[in-house]
Amino acid sequence: MTDLNLVIDGAAAENIWHYLDDDAPLTDAPSIITLTRLKAEADSLASRTAPLGVILHADGLGKTDQGENVRELAPYIDHLALVALHFPIYRNGRGYSAARVLRQEFNFAGELRATGDVLYDQWAMMNRCGINAFELADNVSLETFQTALGELSGAYQPAADATRGALWARSGK
Amino acid sequence: MAQHAAKGARFQAVTANRLSDGEVVYWSDDNRWVEGFTKAEIADGADAADALLARAMPADFEAHVLEPYLFEVLEDGSFYKPASVRETIRAAGPTVRLDLGKQAGA
Amino acid sequence: MYRYDEFDHQLVADRVIQFRGQVERRVSGALTEDQFKPLRLMNGVYLQLHAYMLRVAIPYGTLRSEQMRMLAHIARKYDRGYGHFTTRQNIQYNWPALDKIPDLLDELATAEMHAIQTSGNCIRNVTSDQYAGAIADELEDPRIISEIIRQWSTFHPEFTYLPRKFKIAVTGHENDRAAIKLHDIGIVVKQNSAGEIGYEVHVGGGQGRTPFVAKKMTDFVPKEKLLAYLEAVMRVYNMLGRRDNSYKARIKILVHETGQEEMQRLVEAEFAKIDASEMLTVPQEEIDRISAYFAPPAFETLPAESETFTQAQVDDANFARFVRANVVAHKQAGYAIVNISLKPIGGVPGDATDTQMDVIADLAENHSLDEVRVTHEQNLVLPHVKLDDVKAVYDALAAHELATANLGLISDQIACPGLDYCNLANARSIPLAQEISERFADLDRQYDIGELKIKISGCINACGHHHVGHIGILGVDKKGTEFYQISLGGAADENAAIGQITGRAFTEEDIVDAIETVVTTYTDLRADDERFIDTYNRLGMAPFKERLYD
Repeated sequence: MTDLNLVIDGAAAENIWHYLDDDAPLTDAPSIITLTRLKAEADSLASRTAPLGVILHADGLGKTDQGENVRELAPYIDHLALVALHFPIYRNGRGYSAARVLRQEFNFAGELRATGDVLYDQWAMMNRCGINAFELADNVSLETFQTALGELSGAYQPAADATRGALWARSGK
Repeated sequence: MAQHAAKGARFQAVTANRLSDGEVVYWSDDNRWVEGFTKAEIADGADAADALLARAMPADFEAHVLEPYLFEVLEDGSFYKPASVRETIRAAGPTVRLDLGKQAGA
Repeated sequence: MYRYDEFDHQLVADRVIQFRGQVERRVSGALTEDQFKPLRLMNGVYLQLHAYMLRVAIPYGTLRSEQMRMLAHIARKYDRGYGHFTTRQNIQYNWPALDKIPDLLDELATAEMHAIQTSGNCIRNVTSDQYAGAIADELEDPRIISEIIRQWSTFHPEFTYLPRKFKIAVTGHENDRAAIKLHDIGIVVKQNSAGEIGYEVHVGGGQGRTPFVAKKMTDFVPKEKLLAYLEAVMRVYNMLGRRDNSYKARIKILVHETGQEEMQRLVEAEFAKIDASEMLTVPQEEIDRISAYFAPPAFETLPAESETFTQAQVDDANFARFVRANVVAHKQAGYAIVNISLKPIGGVPGDATDTQMDVIADLAENHSLDEVRVTHEQNLVLPHVKLDDVKAVYDALAAHELATANLGLISDQIACPGLDYCNLANARSIPLAQEISERFADLDRQYDIGELKIKISGCINACGHHHVGHIGILGVDKKGTEFYQISLGGAADENAAIGQITGRAFTEEDIVDAIETVVTTYTDLRADDERFIDTYNRLGMAPFKERLYD
């Protein structure tokens, strides 16, 4: 059983994406750039046909360490094949809201990836919020991943996944 | 958390809580965790204290205890006693239930 | 009251298995303590001074007798024979072993109980009025919407890693017994001109280092849209709440720093989007299903007066005192609400032994239509006692030190566990409560003083609610010695107010005398039937300060 580094939609996947520094030249390889760069180079990127992704940070802004505002992605969303949500530490939960906004408000259908400090006990909740790609540490099996997702067999409330939530499902709504 | 790694303290000991049941334990001079403060190893001076804490935290310390830290002790005749109210209470048990905790001889 | 369906049972069972696995991975080293800590907190497991502490949820403070018996059993089997009822209507056990907690949770689950989300940076137990369903003034039993909120907030995937803890409280009427204005979200049941039930929502209350009274965000949200509104508040908080400094991470700081109007605008914008999707509009069938659990119980048709009840007060002066202080009028003729004080003179406030819990369970089953409640002031309530039975209930309580006739009086104090138990504390609070209780033991004096709520916290985290005590006491550490700071004029009800500090803190030796000074200042200066809080509001701090620091 090979150790995974990437799971997409519940299956082992090859990683085709590169994280690009702001000053690194863009190529036709699938590239994940920062929001800062995306905004700054919006005009030239508009004509790009190669896959484009953006990484959204949950910290680092201003004196109070705010996260980047996911709604700033609105003008670019149709042009993005991937959004990576960075979790600086597993207990910074801003990315969970960003994920739902992307899926449910922007109807983003591309790859939504969790990156950074992402651990076993967060995968299920991230998955429910619409994150469908997980960068895994070495020596994690697909079986382990699937076990994590199935630990809670149901939910009370809807999120970005297919589960309606018992508060509704009970009456067939 | 109200940690008490005391500055300017001369004598210090190391304490933690046991992983399995949360019991207060002390690092003793035979290189293990013990339940009674009277068996705690006492370090004299800042360098000795740092070395004591390092001995109490080998690579696998988390398998046995949570969050070891140094705390100040004072000479008490030929013995030592914790300097702070907090560590005095930790060494004995709740002051409002003398039938519970280490003080009850449990 | 609510009963689990198969789904509820399954989810609680899943959670215990999940936590058992997490404990195993911690013990095996697969998880570091730093990784394990938020997981154990979300299952109610703290580390305290002497041991772990487990906080078991008591949703909106309501228990069946079977559940109270389970709490007694847990105290006996897994702990040291007692439990502590808290200011959030939960119960705490102070001595469980981590490796036994999964088994303990399995047993709790058989009584439809759990320790889910009673700690950690997630949505905590929803608290409510301890007289819900028994009191005449409520517009609707607040536990209906409390249960709906409870389910929606349980394992909510978006709000599992909030900036900080999140506390919600609901009152069924303007007369607020649930301290809603001191909560992150406080909800008041309202009725619009069409007679429809809806909710007034306040946001950003809280105590601790920087206390705030909550700000009203909206006058009326229709019942079926409340979850959409709450989700909007939570999303704004989750995205914008500070994470750089844990002392600035509560929503009260966000409201304060953003401003009420801007906060309203942000929430309304989010609400508009969520509401438009209709995903969180609760189906009427589900509202009806849950409401049915809180329908009035099978009250008997009884006369308004009870000969037995009236005569017993004539015959027994102690019983008469108990009725005067602890018995409250019930909405149903022939019934009464009986308050059980867990503040015996010189006792540990809020503690109950396993034996006492069993006695109360029996009384609930036999004399209170199988219900018992927990109050945020660390007392218990038998909500549905026939007037005819109150004397028998009193006798049973009296036999187990549960009949102290001091509800709302000076010896009915709130005290946090303090430095005797708690890792965060700077000073002990329980011995102080005991000394104050003993100083004012004389019941006649207590009645003369009247309603006076003393609330004691052992540190700035304010778990003892000292900011909203009529007299608040905060334990502080000055160079290794315990000192006590007094504040006056706090209130937790619909006239919520943060108390004012009197001045210099008092030593352990002087603090009880200082409290006595405050009390005698009041009794010297009060007019007519003024309670302490009325006199304070009329005269202000000056006369108290003068007498304290002459």
